[in-house]
Amino acid sequence: MGMIFTILGIAVATVLAGIGSVKGVGAAAQASMGVLSEDSSMFGKMLVLTLLPGTQGLYGFIVGFLMLIYAGVLGGGDVVTWQQGLAYLGASLAIGIGGLVSGIAQGRAAVAGIGLCAKDDKNFSKAMVSVTLVEIYALFAFIVSLLTVISVPAIKF
Amino acid sequence: MKAVRIIALKHDRKRLLEHLQDSALIHVKHSDDVQDGFARADTSAQLKQFEKNADLTEKALKILGNVAPEKKGLLDGFKGRREIDADEIGDIAQQAAKIIGICGKICRIDEQITDNIAEQARIRTLTAQLEVWKKLDIPLNTGDTNSMAVFIGTLPKQYDEQLLAETLAEKCPELVFELEVVYSSSNVTSIVVFTPKKQKEQAELTLRSIGFSRPLNPTSKIPLDKAKRLAKKSNDLRDKKDDLREQIANYADYRDAIRDTQDYFEMRAEKYRVISELDQTEHVFVLNGYIPEQDCGKLEEICQKVPSAIIEFEEAGDDAPVKLKNNKFAEPAQSASPSKEDIDPTPVLAFFFYWFFGMMFSDAGYGLLLVIGTAIGLKILKPDKSMRNNLKLFQYCGISTVIWGLVFGSFFGDAPAVFWNTFTGSNVTMKQLMPWMLDTQKDALFIMIMSIAFGLVHVLVGMGCKFYVCFRQKKYAEAFFDTGLWMLLLTGLAVLAAGMAFGQILTYIGAGIAIACAVGLILTQGRSKKGIFGKLIGGVASLYDITSYVSDLLSYSRLMALGLTTGVMAQVFNMLSTLFGTSVFGIICMAVVFIVGHAVTIGLNVLGSYVHTMRLQYVEMFSKFYEGGGKPFEPFSAKTKNFKIKNTDE
Repeated sequence: MGMIFTILGIAVATVLAGIGSVKGVGAAAQASMGVLSEDSSMFGKMLVLTLLPGTQGLYGFIVGFLMLIYAGVLGGGDVVTWQQGLAYLGASLAIGIGGLVSGIAQGRAAVAGIGLCAKDDKNFSKAMVSVTLVEIYALFAFIVSLLTVISVPAIKF
Repeated sequence: MKAVRIIALKHDRKRLLEHLQDSALIHVKHSDDVQDGFARADTSAQLKQFEKNADLTEKALKILGNVAPEKKGLLDGFKGRREIDADEIGDIAQQAAKIIGICGKICRIDEQITDNIAEQARIRTLTAQLEVWKKLDIPLNTGDTNSMAVFIGTLPKQYDEQLLAETLAEKCPELVFELEVVYSSSNVTSIVVFTPKKQKEQAELTLRSIGFSRPLNPTSKIPLDKAKRLAKKSNDLRDKKDDLREQIANYADYRDAIRDTQDYFEMRAEKYRVISELDQTEHVFVLNGYIPEQDCGKLEEICQKVPSAIIEFEEAGDDAPVKLKNNKFAEPAQSASPSKEDIDPTPVLAFFFYWFFGMMFSDAGYGLLLVIGTAIGLKILKPDKSMRNNLKLFQYCGISTVIWGLVFGSFFGDAPAVFWNTFTGSNVTMKQLMPWMLDTQKDALFIMIMSIAFGLVHVLVGMGCKFYVCFRQKKYAEAFFDTGLWMLLLTGLAVLAAGMAFGQILTYIGAGIAIACAVGLILTQGRSKKGIFGKLIGGVASLYDITSYVSDLLSYSRLMALGLTTGVMAQVFNMLSTLFGTSVFGIICMAVVFIVGHAVTIGLNVLGSYVHTMRLQYVEMFSKFYEGGGKPFEPFSAKTKNFKIKNTDE
């Protein structure tokens, strides 16, 4: 029973956060290709701005991976109680939902940043810093998920 | 910074300006006021011409790039500009007219190609329109004969000859007709129908009732022939286009010459821009500018080459530009343009930049790769100044990354332990290999507290800069009350937090300092308000700023999160690479997964570390003290993209 919740949690963390990044990066990539069709020398800058909303998916993946290790899904060794399984599922919600929403929002910011950069590429660092302002909330979600996951095995239920 | 005025005879103007441009020492002052008795030369006509030429070369280069792309190495973008002697400029100048001619030709040929493409598109549309008629062997506008009526047109449905004959017979049994279906598809059928002339009106009505319509613009040409002619024309156009492209490609050898010419015109345009800033009389001109103090001697030397030139130096005013001067360690991180009141934040910034980047990238192996890669880049490519600074920035970051990698016990993730275990079957951990290490996963909480502590130091340093700036400007109230008290308050809170871990006494001391500072803030922050209540409320409200400080500090937890991200990603790929076992095939797969996986990890995390370090610097630290808005020192120089004149780029 615990294992089922855990695996559900792994899926939630990886997939929800992944969807956030997919939407964000997708939107940013579309916008940046519009710019590149006019001026292909901007590729490097566009790449940076496009990749920025990609981190949410990465955080989700890392939380998922740590759960694989800590709950022993890979080794098949430890027994996960149902309380622990639910705890893993709960931990995954933070980065899952946080990553989903912040990924989409950061994607929108990245699209605007790409527009700014296309007008004058001197604005690049301003655009970059502004887009990362969104990132901190994904990071907070990530840290909470992470700290929970690594302390679940030690918690007495 | 000194203000400088150079006065010289007009016939020396060209020579003097050339020397100044080559040496890149002076920042020419821009001002719209002309002194009495002087006039400005109007150089806009020449400027326009130079800019037009530069644009033309740019356009020609772009066309050449499309038609005959240059073979470029992956690293060519990092290379520095080609060095040339000052004499070569003369050669380039002589060639300029010819090269501009070539650029003009290239652009004209390109216009022909554009026309050609438009014509081909037109032919394609015509051919498409003709598609339904292309089997017809009489002209579309064939009229009635003496005894027969001819109907040529389309029906909006699919018919074959039998079905159409049946349909017509059903609609009008007495109609006599002969028909031929020329073309038929799911939504259009082209037909030719012959009827006796006396039944013409009847036939017309019957046909219309099933949707018959005549072609919009019937021609007297036979469609079959016309389609053939169009196909031939299209072929000819295609050949012509290839030929034109060939002609452009033949000019590819001139690419470098065109680039030189472009630079040449940019240089001249820059010079004429300066000439338009000069105050001139009939025989004399005056140049006003700024120069860093240490360069004054060099400028005097240069002016001695021009006999009529006289130089005067004086103290620079408030609107002087700011030139940053940093040592080798800090220069790569130089990015700000502080105003005259600001202090140059670069040295502090540089240290924290390297420190934070290392902590986020945090892998000894990756750090080594960065150091080695940038070292090779610097050695082989001999890049220009800005690119050199970028490479150096990453080199110092690499060193810091190695140090943090050792602290966190990470060398390509846990590669040493994983591979040792895979090949020997033993079970070592990185902790056994590096007993001093902090485990980013198990000690995550401790590392997060450490990150926030570094953040506190970073923020305090930023506020310290503010304190220093205010103190230097003798704004003591701002220095002590607005900045000093907050610094103390934050320190007090930090001591209080430390007290929770280490002992009661520290808690009391911390709390004491914090409360004392809070009282101080309440008493002083409302000082600009009127009335005792206004002052008090202003003071209490200012305490609300604590939220912004707390959120700034929490923001530093990204140091830990990104450090961990690097480690875990590396670990994932190490694990994947060992899945294939230790057979020969397994080892090949292992190498591939290892290299690709770590390349991805490096790419993503260098980006992440760089971006987040920048953010910490700009958002969390700069906001504490930086006013900015200073005018950067931009010397009058040859702003070339392709070549640089020897010994002038320092």
